[in-house]
Amino acid sequence: MNHRVIESAPPPARFARGWHCLGLAEPFKDGKPHAVEAFGTKLVVFQGADGELKVLNAYCPHMGGDLTQGTVKGDAVACPFHDWRWGGDGRCAGIPYATRVPRAARTKAWRTLETNQQLFVYNDPQGNPPPPEVTIPRIEGAYSDEWSSWTWNRLRVDGSHCREIVDNVVDMAHFYYVHFALPTYFKNVFEGHIATQYYDGYSRDDANLGLVPGAETEQIRQRSEAAYHGPSYMIDYLWNEASGSTVESVLINCHYPISSDSFMLQWGVLVKKFPGMSDEEADAMAKQVGDGIGLGFMQDIEIWRNKAAIDNPLLCDQDGPVYQLRRWYEQFYVDVEDVTPEMVNRFEFEIDTERAVEEWKKEVAENVANGVSFSMIPKSMRETTRG
Amino acid sequence: MQEVGCRTCGTRVLVKKNSLPHTSVQWTTDAAATCEEISSRVAGGEHAACVTHCGALRASIEQAVREGLVKVSSDD
Repeated sequence: MNHRVIESAPPPARFARGWHCLGLAEPFKDGKPHAVEAFGTKLVVFQGADGELKVLNAYCPHMGGDLTQGTVKGDAVACPFHDWRWGGDGRCAGIPYATRVPRAARTKAWRTLETNQQLFVYNDPQGNPPPPEVTIPRIEGAYSDEWSSWTWNRLRVDGSHCREIVDNVVDMAHFYYVHFALPTYFKNVFEGHIATQYYDGYSRDDANLGLVPGAETEQIRQRSEAAYHGPSYMIDYLWNEASGSTVESVLINCHYPISSDSFMLQWGVLVKKFPGMSDEEADAMAKQVGDGIGLGFMQDIEIWRNKAAIDNPLLCDQDGPVYQLRRWYEQFYVDVEDVTPEMVNRFEFEIDTERAVEEWKKEVAENVANGVSFSMIPKSMRETTRG
Repeated sequence: MQEVGCRTCGTRVLVKKNSLPHTSVQWTTDAAATCEEISSRVAGGEHAACVTHCGALRASIEQAVREGLVKVSSDD
């Protein structure tokens, strides 16, 4: 008898073309060199004399010393091995013990962008400059007193390629089964370098959403407009409404690849202040939202750690457009001349959620009637906290 | 997928409907250049991908479904 066989090619050896967020900019501006493991190598981040953050390959082209272990001297980072100095433009800015700097003394300088109080680097295996249309859009809340400061979290994921997290963009049903939310509306649009997801839903009545057991379990209505701007940086505008008040927030869900099977997942939250709210109260509310989202990522990671990579998923009518999303994502892994119209032409997909919502409502009602309640805290975290 | 033309601007797209609420629309042209509604939003500073749909095209697809020009079926 014929049966379905899971196919999976090894993950791509190259890293995606595009802007990648390395984190909030401020922590890099302390006058010290910082190490970031990314794109199969190590980078050094430091602040130049002009105040701007510079990113270079971390290993000194002289004898391979680790610049992240060195010091910032003036406008350059100095290697701890022989004090070779490297400027933010990648040129050797001096070798104190040498009569002259060798002509070829140049290391790789990464193109950087600072926006939304975050630092970005541009990866392009072909070395082309970033086209202006792929720039990271400005988030107004990041520049307004009416919003909190950013929360910021990071989590290293080993044993998975970062395409696993991108697949979530189209995965309507996993919101119910993994994140205990009940989607009622779900639509994707892919066009150019952007992939969007429109989502309406609410929290399940049979799930305890609080971190603290016994905390209130009021239903939260959720609306979300999320978009990947390039391969790795998602801006998610979220509206969560409970008992007549709406929390407006912006979630950043981003990552950068460390190797072909590990990546750094990062997320940050801004919330809009309620009238009369202090900065501290707004930051506390943002932290609460950020912690809840962190639990959501832990739920995803538990799936990724145990799942198989699959190039030929078997889909039903209520699944999102996984193949079309992967076709869109492929544009970042081929040379720019090889990007085909199919990868970037506009594609819209609206899921029929009727059957799913009907079934899920029934299941939730049965669970509530039987006193079954799920914890938002993933199993592995519960076990570690108990131990 | 079945071809549908927008009754406002004439842009032709490929449509698949598994059920009445489900819609899959594959564009074969640059929406920001060919679609009136999307191009005016793009001119206003929005990204085309952040426009959920074109109202005129949606109405044309619904009309095509009513006229039986687009079959509603989950069969390929």
